Amino acid sequence: MSDMLTEKEVLHVARLARINLTDEEVMKYRIQLKQLLDDVDKIKDVKIDDDEQLITPIDEKAVLRSDEAGEMLEPEDIMKNVPVSNGNFVEVPVMINE
Amino acid sequence: MTDYKKTIGIEIHVELKTKTKIFSDSINGYGRTANSNVNVVDLGYPGTLPTLNVEVIRLALKAALILNCDINREMHFDRKNYFYPDLPKGYQITQFETPIGTDGYVEIEVNGDKKKIRIHDIHIEEDTCKSIHYKNHSFLDFNRAGVPLVEIVTEADMHSSEEAMAYVEKLRELFLYADISDCKIEEGSMRCDVNISVSKTEELGTRAEIKNIGSISNVGRAIEKEAERQIALLEKGEEIAFATYRYDEKNDATIMMRVKEAGNDYRYFPEPDIPFVLIDDTLIDDVKKTIPMLASERREKYMAFGISLLNANKIIQNRSLSNYLNKFLDSGIDLVIASNILLGDISFYLNKTGLDIESTKLTDEKFIDIVKRISSGELNSKVFKEILDELLEEDTSVEEIISRRGIKIINDPTELKTIIEKVIANNSASVNDYQNGNTRAIKFLMGQIMKETKGSANPELVNKLLEEELNK
Amino acid sequence: MSKYLDLSIREINDLLKKKEIKPIDLVEEAFERIEENAELNAFITLDKEQALKTAKELEDREVDNVLFGIPIAIKDNIVTKDLRTTCASHILDNFIPIYDATVIKKIKEKNMIIIGKTNMDEFAMGSTSQTSYFGAPHNPWDTKKVAGGSSGGSASCISARLVPLALGSDTGGSIRQPASYCGIVGMKPTYGRVSRYGLIAFGSSLDQIGPMTRNVYENALLLNVLCGRDENDLTSSHRESEDFTRMIGEDISGMKIAVPNFFISDIVSDEVRANLEAVIELLKKRGAIIEYVDIDYIENAVTLYQIIAMGEASSNLARFDGVRYGYSVADPKGVDELYALTRGEGFGEEVKRRIMVGSYLLSGENAKTYYAKALQIRKAIRDSFLKTFEKYDLIIGPNATTTAYNLGEGLDDPLKTFLDDVLVIPVNMAGLPGMNVPMGFGKNHLPIGLQIIGNKFDEAKMYKLAAFIEKELNLDLDPREVR
Repeated sequence: MSDMLTEKEVLHVARLARINLTDEEVMKYRIQLKQLLDDVDKIKDVKIDDDEQLITPIDEKAVLRSDEAGEMLEPEDIMKNVPVSNGNFVEVPVMINE
Repeated sequence: MTDYKKTIGIEIHVELKTKTKIFSDSINGYGRTANSNVNVVDLGYPGTLPTLNVEVIRLALKAALILNCDINREMHFDRKNYFYPDLPKGYQITQFETPIGTDGYVEIEVNGDKKKIRIHDIHIEEDTCKSIHYKNHSFLDFNRAGVPLVEIVTEADMHSSEEAMAYVEKLRELFLYADISDCKIEEGSMRCDVNISVSKTEELGTRAEIKNIGSISNVGRAIEKEAERQIALLEKGEEIAFATYRYDEKNDATIMMRVKEAGNDYRYFPEPDIPFVLIDDTLIDDVKKTIPMLASERREKYMAFGISLLNANKIIQNRSLSNYLNKFLDSGIDLVIASNILLGDISFYLNKTGLDIESTKLTDEKFIDIVKRISSGELNSKVFKEILDELLEEDTSVEEIISRRGIKIINDPTELKTIIEKVIANNSASVNDYQNGNTRAIKFLMGQIMKETKGSANPELVNKLLEEELNK
Repeated sequence: MSKYLDLSIREINDLLKKKEIKPIDLVEEAFERIEENAELNAFITLDKEQALKTAKELEDREVDNVLFGIPIAIKDNIVTKDLRTTCASHILDNFIPIYDATVIKKIKEKNMIIIGKTNMDEFAMGSTSQTSYFGAPHNPWDTKKVAGGSSGGSASCISARLVPLALGSDTGGSIRQPASYCGIVGMKPTYGRVSRYGLIAFGSSLDQIGPMTRNVYENALLLNVLCGRDENDLTSSHRESEDFTRMIGEDISGMKIAVPNFFISDIVSDEVRANLEAVIELLKKRGAIIEYVDIDYIENAVTLYQIIAMGEASSNLARFDGVRYGYSVADPKGVDELYALTRGEGFGEEVKRRIMVGSYLLSGENAKTYYAKALQIRKAIRDSFLKTFEKYDLIIGPNATTTAYNLGEGLDDPLKTFLDDVLVIPVNMAGLPGMNVPMGFGKNHLPIGLQIIGNKFDEAKMYKLAAFIEKELNLDLDPREVR
């Protein structure tokens, strides 16, 4: 087994995470991600019979909210933090999949 | 070409009719100023967490019950992870492992044949934000982000465009009647995605997904067109791409949007921010009580009272009119007359004024009074039409309006006889026709009598007296 | 220079009530101390102007609670309205929140004065605070050493007596481990005890905000204010509020205390083990019953943490996309480029590493192989802990395997940061409360901390034992005496 991921493997996970990597980073992560994934692989050797999962460590059930409106933001306040806005809208490059 | 069998499955997203969003308390409203129905939760601000709207659970449960589903008594939510600018958190909160309802069915009828369409599951999720595209940019409006949806997924049980349309129409009717959603396909509160494949054998062909079809009739068109396209390809020996399409109404054709990546990687995992939701018997019983009489049951009842299928359907299409009529099912009045005036003059008035019947002054007592008077002949359609505005706009009783107007229905046989004799004398040709077996001639004579009395004669009585007179 | 901030909060409260001092005296002193100790790099953002303004406003108000007018520092992953909140990341380095976290509202209601936002590991990912975009905070006991992480800035500023109170957050030991390295008291409450609304999520099912203070009593005072059901957080508990100081000072004889064998295994350094053994002897002498136990799967907790925390983080950090707030690359050619460049440039190395691994672990079949299995084992760990608490009042052990190490160490080893937290992670897996109370010093006079783990919602009992140990050991925990 190699102690490095391939460049393709690193670029695949980078794409999953929508993270652009420099060539230098790709090289570094080929080793580091491999180390991490090998370590995580230890879970495969752990024996467990009970298949019940713990999603969140609380015993209480969800308490639901009544259907009543609360306060909302003013569009101007929203736009203060928006990198690119246009009037009352948030602007992004055209979404290709439409 | 006809030996190809179509196999169709449908996914429908329906916006739930709540006051607020599913995971935040901002308003669930359509068509407001862009980004005005938004709070920090809807925008996916760092540190925000979801809350869960009880009304969403109630409406989704109602939908699941109507669709005859098994209910997941202990359910949780899951995150569906993907990147898209209309998805504020980079994941959609949905139900993947424990949908609220599973294994249900809907019964449809096509050309008199009844058929059950199996429902794979119904699950709850949040809507994405709305985007508008112009040149090289897209503009985002988060008012829709977090609007509650249920998605209903069928098994691939349909084999014709008629069945598919009947299913969508049936689902729309069910949800409209149960007050779960507005189900306005044109406005996007109900969205249909159709999966279709064709095959000559039992083995299913490669399917295409047609997204977001804009009307029920287009569901049928899109299926026909897509099937034609697929069959043509197969006949040429070509392969069908596993892809997403849209139906283009102008060109009456399906157009490819994108080829599907092998196994979309949504990286589902259980949503840790929402604990398990318990659906107990109390809640189920409570929700069951809110399920009104559904359309199919209404139709059966109406027709049992003698209302025609056409008129029954017309009333059912208007839920508030149907609810109004339902109040009189046990009142003993003539429901055929009741439905006729509701669909006729009353609907005309409501359309003209934009009012809902419940917001007029037409009380239940008044309506019963009117129908009774019409069936006994004390009130005829001409007079009814004349006094309609007053009936619907004033608190006054039918009796008062009639007497105020000086409208007198002639019920006196002696008085009527004089008029009848006069009409008979002036229309000997028609009388002859009648006596020679042309029974339709009596209608003409009736008309003449009504004209003579300016419509104030009791038509039943006139009919009786006229026949007596003619058969003397 | 005044020394009001060396007094206990009770003493300060008395002076405030008697009008012998004003809140502004405390605020000015805090900023003097912060400026004198700038090399600690404990803060990312200071809010001097607003703090002075608030202090002025408080002059006319009645001193209505013990924390009135006390300066407090906030970890920079807790959002503060109108006050920059960066999560120690380039991607948020200009982010001004438009709402307050629930804990911040509570702090403001009690008229505490927010001094600034403390340094930390970027998005709380790390065990030394060295992944901060703003450079690492330093350990006041030896400025060449790390302060621990991820709440390193909060630990550093409390230890150096810059402010008396701070908030930290703990996903896999991020309050307890830096508290151990810096010789202060830090509590990670039971999961659900404190609202997470406004805490920028790292591992949603693990994260918990908690108090970091100079001593046990003041820690309990601050927790009194932080906890309670929050309608904005479905995972916050409905438990009634309680006074966490109520058991402090009670006799500990008869208390049954468990020590997991894993906590004294050879993963722990000799000096840490020696200190723990000394504490065990002391407790025995005072009538506590100490027994050694095994917790199922405790040795697998780090692996579970890697899977669950990185998986959740990959999803939680997807919202940083340059669309609605935060850093956004200029003039992207398309949506894909907007995402990839914004995130590629905005996140630091450790964060990118964890997001990528987390995404991978959730993709396709991996979700079953890794994630679902991790949740199963997690259930077993919690069950085993809860079973132990059927027989024992508390569990103790160390928080860190060693004392603080040199700045710059272990930066290129992606595993070291997880192994640093091997003793603290199991508590987050189980959702239980865990705390640090100083128990001694190693060679070079660096602090060593004792970890106390309680049953769910049993924080008051933990404070009782912690206060006892604090009093008995009577350690000099002021690093200024050493320097």
